[in-house]
Amino acid sequence: MHVRNLFAATVVAASLSTAAIADVSVMLPANPGGGWDGTGRQAFAAMNAAGIYTEGVNFTNTGGAGGTIGLAEFQNSQSGKPDALAVFGAITVGAIMLNSSPIDLSTYTPIARLTAEHLVIAVDARSDIETLEQLVEQMKADPGAVPVGGGSAGGVDHIALALLAQAAGIAVGDLNYIPQAAGAETVTGIVNGTLKAGISGISEFQQFQDQGRIRILAITADERREGLDVPTFKEAGFDVEIANWRGILGAPGMPEDNAAEWIARFDQLNDSAEWQQVMQTQGWDSYYQSGPAFGEFIAEENARIGDILRGAELVE
Amino acid sequence: MSSKSISRPYWLSVIVIGLGLVCLWGGLSLPAASRYAGIGPGAVPTFIGAVLVVLGLLLAIQIYRGEPFEAQGTENADPNLPMNLRAFLLALVAAGLPILTLKSFGLPLAAMVSFALVARSFGSTRLGWDLLTGLILGLLSWFLFDRLGLQLGGLLPLAGI
Amino acid sequence: MNSFEYLLHGFGVALEPMNLLWALIGSALGTMIGVLPGIGPALTIALLLPVTVSIAPTAAFIMFAGVLYGAMYGGSTTSILINTPGEAGSMMTALEGNRMARSGRGAAALATAAIGSFVAGTLATLTLTFVAPLVAELAFIFKPADYFALTVLAFCSVAVVMGTSRIRGFISLFIGLGLGVVGIDKLTGQPRLTYGVAELLDGIELTVVLVSLFAIGEILFVASRYSQARETPLKVSGKWMTREDFSRSWKPWLRGTVIGFPMGALPGGGSEIPTMLSYTLERKLSPKPEDFGHGAIEGVAGPEAANNAAAAGILVPLLTLGLPTSATAAVLLAAFQNYGLQPGPFLFTSNPDLVWGLIASLYIGNVMLLVLNLPLVGLWVKLLSIPKPQLYAGILIFALIGIWGVSGSEVDLIVMLIIGIAGYVMRVYDFPIAPVLIGLILGPMAEYQLRTALASAQGNPMTLVETPISITFLAIAALIFLAPALLRRLRANA
Repeated sequence: MHVRNLFAATVVAASLSTAAIADVSVMLPANPGGGWDGTGRQAFAAMNAAGIYTEGVNFTNTGGAGGTIGLAEFQNSQSGKPDALAVFGAITVGAIMLNSSPIDLSTYTPIARLTAEHLVIAVDARSDIETLEQLVEQMKADPGAVPVGGGSAGGVDHIALALLAQAAGIAVGDLNYIPQAAGAETVTGIVNGTLKAGISGISEFQQFQDQGRIRILAITADERREGLDVPTFKEAGFDVEIANWRGILGAPGMPEDNAAEWIARFDQLNDSAEWQQVMQTQGWDSYYQSGPAFGEFIAEENARIGDILRGAELVE
Repeated sequence: MSSKSISRPYWLSVIVIGLGLVCLWGGLSLPAASRYAGIGPGAVPTFIGAVLVVLGLLLAIQIYRGEPFEAQGTENADPNLPMNLRAFLLALVAAGLPILTLKSFGLPLAAMVSFALVARSFGSTRLGWDLLTGLILGLLSWFLFDRLGLQLGGLLPLAGI
Repeated sequence: MNSFEYLLHGFGVALEPMNLLWALIGSALGTMIGVLPGIGPALTIALLLPVTVSIAPTAAFIMFAGVLYGAMYGGSTTSILINTPGEAGSMMTALEGNRMARSGRGAAALATAAIGSFVAGTLATLTLTFVAPLVAELAFIFKPADYFALTVLAFCSVAVVMGTSRIRGFISLFIGLGLGVVGIDKLTGQPRLTYGVAELLDGIELTVVLVSLFAIGEILFVASRYSQARETPLKVSGKWMTREDFSRSWKPWLRGTVIGFPMGALPGGGSEIPTMLSYTLERKLSPKPEDFGHGAIEGVAGPEAANNAAAAGILVPLLTLGLPTSATAAVLLAAFQNYGLQPGPFLFTSNPDLVWGLIASLYIGNVMLLVLNLPLVGLWVKLLSIPKPQLYAGILIFALIGIWGVSGSEVDLIVMLIIGIAGYVMRVYDFPIAPVLIGLILGPMAEYQLRTALASAQGNPMTLVETPISITFLAIAALIFLAPALLRRLRANA
């Protein structure tokens, strides 16, 4: 099957040098079942259903270390290839610096940013803290006395808190940030008093607010969210916007024609009813951007996150 | 080891101390303190390494005093038998060979060879049957687990399958 | 809804035909590996972990629970009929059960073991049903310092109680702790002890260590000292159970359950200690202590009940606090994490189908196992006629699949070989294996809770002994550490 395809590809490529018929290889740098895995597989399933790209897709799952292990493997085996893509996300940017990984995202070919989840900050439902300003007030007075929980060190939750601190004039290095294994653990920590506050994705925290365990104070989006009556960080007076985004990269050195082709395909995907349906059932928010604009966005994230991690003395 | 002579496996404590030093070295190269917790990422590895070094020294003292080391009893093994070095090495090769063979030869062939080697080390003399059983077992598991979604690599990567 | 209504709902889930099938597969597989040498429940579930990719979580956990319970049933069969316990928890059963079989009462021994397992399994599951939701609330009271104290207690008990030498026990434990440190530090994101190997950033996988220590280490050890002496299983002889057997068995069943369940729920307890305690207790309480050593039925009934109750006990802290207390529990935890689920108090509210379907399936699994193990015992005994060379060769193949299939990484295969050799050396020089796993499983948790507790208290070490819970656990730990002579006497008596 594979052999025949390859043979066909060579023949066709020789005669009509434009169409790429060989299967696309997609690196999913996470274990099966997670968010990146789902994003990659669902995006290609929707592309297939919408008739945008119906050729074969070879997925490889190589999980670990915020995607850096999978991307390193991807870089070694796929550089310069015309049809090699990888899923990655906001977490990868920080993980590369934290793990001193040799990966340089600017050498990759930016294709598209697909989805995002915004973050919320919450306190104990019984707490006397009612607003984000009050929480920041306490942090300012004694940052050590306000332990805040969230996802892994250097991850998006951590960066969000650090940006909040910067906006409020608190030194990032003074924060008492305690990473937790999962959103539920953060809630447990808030309830038993280990943590003063917690940061996590909306989907994780909303259910616990509904159960009456926690009180969500604010969201990191640029506008309020339907069904969740909390102000944005900006409304509360802190100019912070950040999301846990996921996107697609092309291999370093991907030929320009192929890159343009893939960007066009993802643009089509974004407009398709099939993809909108997938995002709705999965509860993902669209956060679409493609091509060079996305490349600039990655560079900005890189600079912003690098600043934060140096400020927190997590990297040199 | 019977009562012929007391063995003094000092190398055991050398290994334990060695492991301790690896841990200690790694721990000492990391910050030992942190802002609020007091203890940083290096503290626990340093502690574990130091304890292992101490335990290794205590073990050396035990060995010096002639502490007996009796092999554990387990099913199908007689701890009182002398070590069968040939069988051990065959089994070791069977476990180590896949490091070289799995990626390039694929699971079924690697399984075939390792299966036959282990069976041989346990005294099986029907090499042909063992190779065949190993191959069938490897093929069956490859198809079963591949369908279950495991990434077992190609069936026969050398031929590009 | 209260626990009872949830349970009814759970039965609705567990009685779906596909789920019944998974329970049956799990129970049969569990019994099989319980009978066969070289593979235990932890290893089996570890090797099955990859199926989590393609099977729905409820179905997978129903199957895993069948394996967990089934192994306890199957282990007793080999203990009684060939005097080689398939599982650590069946060691005590071999003492009396095999004697019974030799004196023509094999059927009665098998019956009291199977029925005792059933009674204990069912009672323990019942307790789990009503206790678990209460324990789950503890998660909001338990603070990091309490978890830390609990893990310290587990370390002390496992290193002191397992094996013959305290020094070797602690060496095993600290090697496990050292392995647990490898990888990215959770609190600061810095890589530790990876020495530049990118594959080590996510740490050394428990399944790799488990498979290497148990499967590879065992194969190397048995190969090097393979005893050709064939053990033919004894014939199942005699009456199943007389009225007298029954009246001598029921109290040990209940006492075994009472001992096994809470011990299983404590970290590091495992099934070895409760079965030992049950055996000792039954010998003390027996009206005919002179029977012990010559085939006393109480000595089978009690420990068998205790080991099944312990198996159910490990589920309490696992489901409610996300705290694994044994290698099997840790592998189950890994399975939860594969599904992106975090066991803990919220699991009961966020995934009621899964939790209550799993609990309901335990009741059903127990009934299945009783049927599989009493009338069909002859079938399982036949498994013992698989020639050993091919059996161990097969175990190696499955070990390879379990490691290669998950990561596809040669680094893991190299780690497997190294740790496999270590497992061999540990067997030859009598270093206990269990503390390595406990260290690897609970070590990272101990460190994390310690540092979290200190960070939350801004570095004040007094926070570690602020709550009555932590003081109690640490005091018991100190006691165990300082009074090993007492425990050794207990062992000697057993």
